[in-house]
Amino acid sequence: MNDTGSLVTLAPDSSGPAPTGERWIRFAKPARWIAIAGAVGVLAAPFMAWAYRPDALDDVSFWGEPSPLQWFAFALGLLLLGCLVAPFVIKPRPGRRPRRLLAFNRGAKAAASGSLVYFAVASAAIVLELGGLVALEPGAWAGLAGALVATVATRALPEGHDPRLQFLNTPAWGQILGIVGAVALVLFAAAYGLGQDGASTFVTFGVLCGVGVYVAARVGVMGWLSAAAARNRRALVLAAFAVAFLFPMTQDGSDANMSIAVGVLIFAATAMGLNIVVGLAGLLDLGYIAFLGAGAFTAAILSRSAFATLGWSPPFPVVVLISGTVAAILGLIIGSPTLRVSGDYLAIVTLAFGEIFRITMNNLDGVDGPNLTRGSNGIPAIPDLELFGFDFGESHMILGVQIGRFANYYWLMLLVLALIILVFTNLNHSRIGRGWVAIREDERAAEAMGVNVFGLKLLAFAGGAFLAGIAGAVKAHVDVSVTPDQYIFMESAFLVAGIVLGGMGTVGGVLIGASILKLLPEKLRFFEDYRLLMFGVLLVVMMRFRPEGLMPDERRQLEFHADDDELAEEIGENIEAHVIPSLAGAPEPDLKGDDA
Amino acid sequence: MDLFAQQLVNGLSLGALYALIAVGYTVVYGIVQLINFAHGEVFMVGAFGAYTTWILMGSPSHLSPGFAFGVVMPAMLLGGVVAAVGTALLMERFAYRPLRGAPRLAPLISAIGLSIALQEAVRLFYGRIPGFPDSRRAIPFPVIDGFTGRSWQVAGVTIQYSTAFTLIALLVCTTLLWWFVNRTRMGRAMQATSQDPDTSRLMGINVDRAIATAFAVGAALAAVAGMAHGLRYNNIDFQMGFMAGMKAFTAAVLGGIGNVNGAVVGGLVLGVVEAMATTYIPGQFGSSAWKDVWAFALLILVLVFRPQGLLGAKAVDRA
Repeated sequence: MNDTGSLVTLAPDSSGPAPTGERWIRFAKPARWIAIAGAVGVLAAPFMAWAYRPDALDDVSFWGEPSPLQWFAFALGLLLLGCLVAPFVIKPRPGRRPRRLLAFNRGAKAAASGSLVYFAVASAAIVLELGGLVALEPGAWAGLAGALVATVATRALPEGHDPRLQFLNTPAWGQILGIVGAVALVLFAAAYGLGQDGASTFVTFGVLCGVGVYVAARVGVMGWLSAAAARNRRALVLAAFAVAFLFPMTQDGSDANMSIAVGVLIFAATAMGLNIVVGLAGLLDLGYIAFLGAGAFTAAILSRSAFATLGWSPPFPVVVLISGTVAAILGLIIGSPTLRVSGDYLAIVTLAFGEIFRITMNNLDGVDGPNLTRGSNGIPAIPDLELFGFDFGESHMILGVQIGRFANYYWLMLLVLALIILVFTNLNHSRIGRGWVAIREDERAAEAMGVNVFGLKLLAFAGGAFLAGIAGAVKAHVDVSVTPDQYIFMESAFLVAGIVLGGMGTVGGVLIGASILKLLPEKLRFFEDYRLLMFGVLLVVMMRFRPEGLMPDERRQLEFHADDDELAEEIGENIEAHVIPSLAGAPEPDLKGDDA
Repeated sequence: MDLFAQQLVNGLSLGALYALIAVGYTVVYGIVQLINFAHGEVFMVGAFGAYTTWILMGSPSHLSPGFAFGVVMPAMLLGGVVAAVGTALLMERFAYRPLRGAPRLAPLISAIGLSIALQEAVRLFYGRIPGFPDSRRAIPFPVIDGFTGRSWQVAGVTIQYSTAFTLIALLVCTTLLWWFVNRTRMGRAMQATSQDPDTSRLMGINVDRAIATAFAVGAALAAVAGMAHGLRYNNIDFQMGFMAGMKAFTAAVLGGIGNVNGAVVGGLVLGVVEAMATTYIPGQFGSSAWKDVWAFALLILVLVFRPQGLLGAKAVDRA
């Protein structure tokens, strides 16, 4: 692991051998101009035709009339040019020490590579769709060449110092404004991206967003944003929640995207529950979908469906509690072996429990066992929810916008998810959460320090299961029918994949991971057949190159790179930077608790 | 009594199948302390390799018994072994070797990924090769004249030829494995590596090669099991590795993981228990729909109450 770790150290002040880029530093000046020429090529490309026939991508065969996909390329070009030209505009005042707030050279490198990937993917798509390189018109060649030139030339630019923007003294209102702006940008991007029907536009927009975030991170904007977010957590949470709440308003009563969004929320809520077990307590649970299933089946059996087998249908709030409790009891049963089993064996035990659950639900059909779940047919025709006179199945007009059935459930799930996140973060920052982290890092040491290991492990299982049970109760009503084959092992594997992808033990990472895993296959129907294959490969590659996930918890990252001293130092500095008030405002007390 | 004897034979043949796969789990675990979760898929690839060989031979049917037993079946077996060993070696080289020394979670998740990817690769691409059947549903395994469907009657007990094949294969494979591990240089290198990899390296043993050999040996036995599975159930499909792998893992744990004799004993015990459960558990729970539940329940009970297994001597710490 650590041999690759040392290869990527590009920081100029590192004591290791000089990175390859530094050798070319004397060409930095001409290289910048060459790169600018390349950027101009990228900017010009959208105004030319890329393909000779309109059926590739979203019709890129016109001169002078860029399609959306081409405008994305233009945006990339602007990003690149901006990063290249900025050092001419922003100069240190004479006689003053340069402030080095932003690392534009790093941004230029990232933007150049991003444009190259963008044009390569677009050209490859055209070539594949229209058959042969002849299909490429000058625009595609100009873009490819420009991006390639810029990529090569930017390699010669010096890396420069680490951006120091996050240490800038920003007033509190400025930080909050930045957070709100960023969150609003996310809402806009999500609404725009989901509004794209064409798969190619959707994918390329995703690439644009990804490159944008990457460039922002390299330039140093993300560092400022995350520092500001760490300081104004409440503002961030409020803004994010408000944006998520407003999302159905942008959909014009269309249910297509809202049904996907509800699916994402259910998946995210379940993954967040699993995150308690896997991310905090470090207990790999490969049968977690059984808890969602237990909640869904309980809610279905207690619903007013004509196929419900018990004939008792209490009001929904009661059903939610019963569902959660049933799942939690199941969690206690599944968690009880943790007294004696840990690590891989525990993963296998939970997997076996998950399979037992599925087979049992299949067998309780009146033939092989008592009739409770109607076997593989499941329980269909579960009626829509009615809470306090509000019918979730009906459309409503709110502020002149039509809100359909899925939007109603979306808001309900949003509340459930908010509840789960609240539980998660509060537990994480409490004595219980510290205990879980201690167990995860070294069970024996934790026990020696007086942590109640068995009790806390059981609590993780039961608590996570309770939350999944609640999500399952809502899912039963959203999906209308509940069948055992919705709760197969593969779904558990997806949940684990979502957590691993985003970053174990974090809230933001898991939300992102869950959205990616659930959203991509929904929007990319042509991709449907290959998605499982992709996920399999993704898990392997991820474990190989970035086992800590896209947005790792810092402590977690250190666990995965235990012998990487440089990383340890860097993270140590970061924690210090959080604790020493470098931004305006007092430090959060719980951050100090990290060192205590 | 006849019923008991019949179920015993059925259970033993099922158990022999589990045992052949379980050896792969146990050999790999013994040497690198890694649960190769994707081993079930190696078994599946082995079965498909055998089937592919049959197709490449021009789908021969209506054979004379001599040709069938002397040429076709050995060739299929060899094809399966080559496919499975190749898959296992690639897996070891590119997915597991880079993760040595990483936290326990990493190889396990990697293995889940491999397992999904292998299943999907077979499902999506196998049927696209011209002349090959659609792999999205079960593929009928070749009928071998003079073998498929034949059986002996011994004292009122039916013994299928495929049952005999599985049991004999287990006997031959374990004998060969015993010889390989105890009598060859590479086998001794594997033993040394499993005891202490660092010291073995100091003694001039190529540890990487010893570990790769462990994967290869397990894969070869899994391929034999894949062939046996095809002959026994008369069809193969891309999903067959999951359940078989889980059962075989149960068998390996039951016998004591890391212990080759234990895997064989564990496999046979599990097979017999499963066969007996469907016969002697009264009422609705005795139906075959519940047999997997009993197998998994056995797995959980063993893991909780005797994690070192039936034959395992030392306590295993899997923290």
